[in-house]
Amino acid sequence: MDQLLAALDGGWRVLLVGMLLGAGLPTMFAFGIRALAWGAGGEAGVHAEDVVLKPHPMGRVIAYTLFALVILAVLLGIAYIVVHGFGWTMTFNGIWPVVTPK
Amino acid sequence: MMNVTPEFILLALVVLTALAFDFTNGFHDTANAMATSIATKALSPKAAVTLSAVLNLAGAFLSVEVAITVTNAVIRIQNADGTPKAELMSDGGHGLLLILMAGLAGAIVWNLLTWLWGLPSSSSHALFGGLVGATVAAMGWGGVKWIGEGAKLDGVVGKVVLPGLLSPAIAILVAMVGTRLIFWVTRGVAERYQETGFRWGQIGTASLLSLSHGTNDAQKTMGVITLALIASGQWSATTQIPVWVKIACAVAIASGTYIGGWRIIRTMGKGLVEISSPQGMAAESASAAVILTSSQLGFALSTTHVCTGSIIGSGLGRKGATVRWGVAGRMGLAWLTTLPLAALVGAAMWWIGHLIGGSAGAFTIFGLMCVAALYMRWHSRRDPIGHHNVNDEWAADAEQAKVPVSGGVH
Repeated sequence: MDQLLAALDGGWRVLLVGMLLGAGLPTMFAFGIRALAWGAGGEAGVHAEDVVLKPHPMGRVIAYTLFALVILAVLLGIAYIVVHGFGWTMTFNGIWPVVTPK
Repeated sequence: MMNVTPEFILLALVVLTALAFDFTNGFHDTANAMATSIATKALSPKAAVTLSAVLNLAGAFLSVEVAITVTNAVIRIQNADGTPKAELMSDGGHGLLLILMAGLAGAIVWNLLTWLWGLPSSSSHALFGGLVGATVAAMGWGGVKWIGEGAKLDGVVGKVVLPGLLSPAIAILVAMVGTRLIFWVTRGVAERYQETGFRWGQIGTASLLSLSHGTNDAQKTMGVITLALIASGQWSATTQIPVWVKIACAVAIASGTYIGGWRIIRTMGKGLVEISSPQGMAAESASAAVILTSSQLGFALSTTHVCTGSIIGSGLGRKGATVRWGVAGRMGLAWLTTLPLAALVGAAMWWIGHLIGGSAGAFTIFGLMCVAALYMRWHSRRDPIGHHNVNDEWAADAEQAKVPVSGGVH
């Protein structure tokens, strides 16, 4: 019974953080794609026959900012794997990651 | 010059078998990282396995952290500090080596059988299963750590059964929500435009998965080989792994990944769900996030279960997409039976090795394993699956009409 509770306890934490990163980041990426399409105009969006979608330069800026944030998160993921590989731990003090030997 | 004693021969066979297991571990798990990228053509099949292999190799070298107590999760053949139990150390560690040998052989046979059936199953469950079986045969039921004490997740229940049940559920939920959100956010974006964008996202997340696989899985074999070396007196440090072991394991898992378990890649990429790039990225992000989070929180789970769960979730999250529950059900059955069946093979192998005794016993186990491997390879030749046909239409519904799905127009 203790084991089941411990598993559920670990499970919901994984679910919570996993949801935040695993669903949150791709959603941010999706916003980037949408901004990019809005920025490109033309054939990038779904439109009726007689409508021409005009490009918006701002779309690109927004898109690349969002992509940069996602890439940053992925790099953080890689850093996390590397740091753990070397037997250190990575904790998040506020937002900035702190690496300490175990 | 080293004396070629029977113990040394046994040790050499254990090391070989462990490397063979590492190899099957690699090709069994290529699918976890790369199946969706191959299915959506984000990467060509060849490029995908090459990228994955390189990252697995790099990952394996990154695993400096010592995993020498890997067997402690489920069986009692090691002390807490990683040294082998004294009672298994007589005759140059023969008792312990035979358990490792039989356990690894059981894991390999099960891995190959599930590969033949094209089913993704957990290599760590197979390894634990084989070891549990061999241990029960050698030391009785008491040799196995069935359940952890108190609230610390440990033993067969805490490290294998419970995470095995929970992790696919978590992954399904995360991937389902991710897929929903992605399609909701990108509605109104032309499908062709979506596909190209998300392919890049897929390549990034798939790489992340491959790297973390290399660090996690190669480590287990390194731990097993080092344990064998300690038991036979060839190595003494419990805080270090010999350099050659690290190199050998890294190369074994990477070459396995490169060979690619195409049968499994096909099932995961084409069999479960007809997958599109946005779904692929949602599935892979969900897998990467769940795997990395759980390793941070010390919650042991199987990469295979998470990745399969994520793919199913990405099918559930897209309106109109269908999940082939028949295929998913066969997979579920394989997961439930992985531990007990690998254990049965492990136990049988141990009995055979024990009854024959000495080096001859170990050679017999090794020989039986090779015969089984060759038979399954021969059997797989009847309907070969490789990079050339991995993306072919899934036969079961090739003739069914295509169902329109949400997410932009063609």
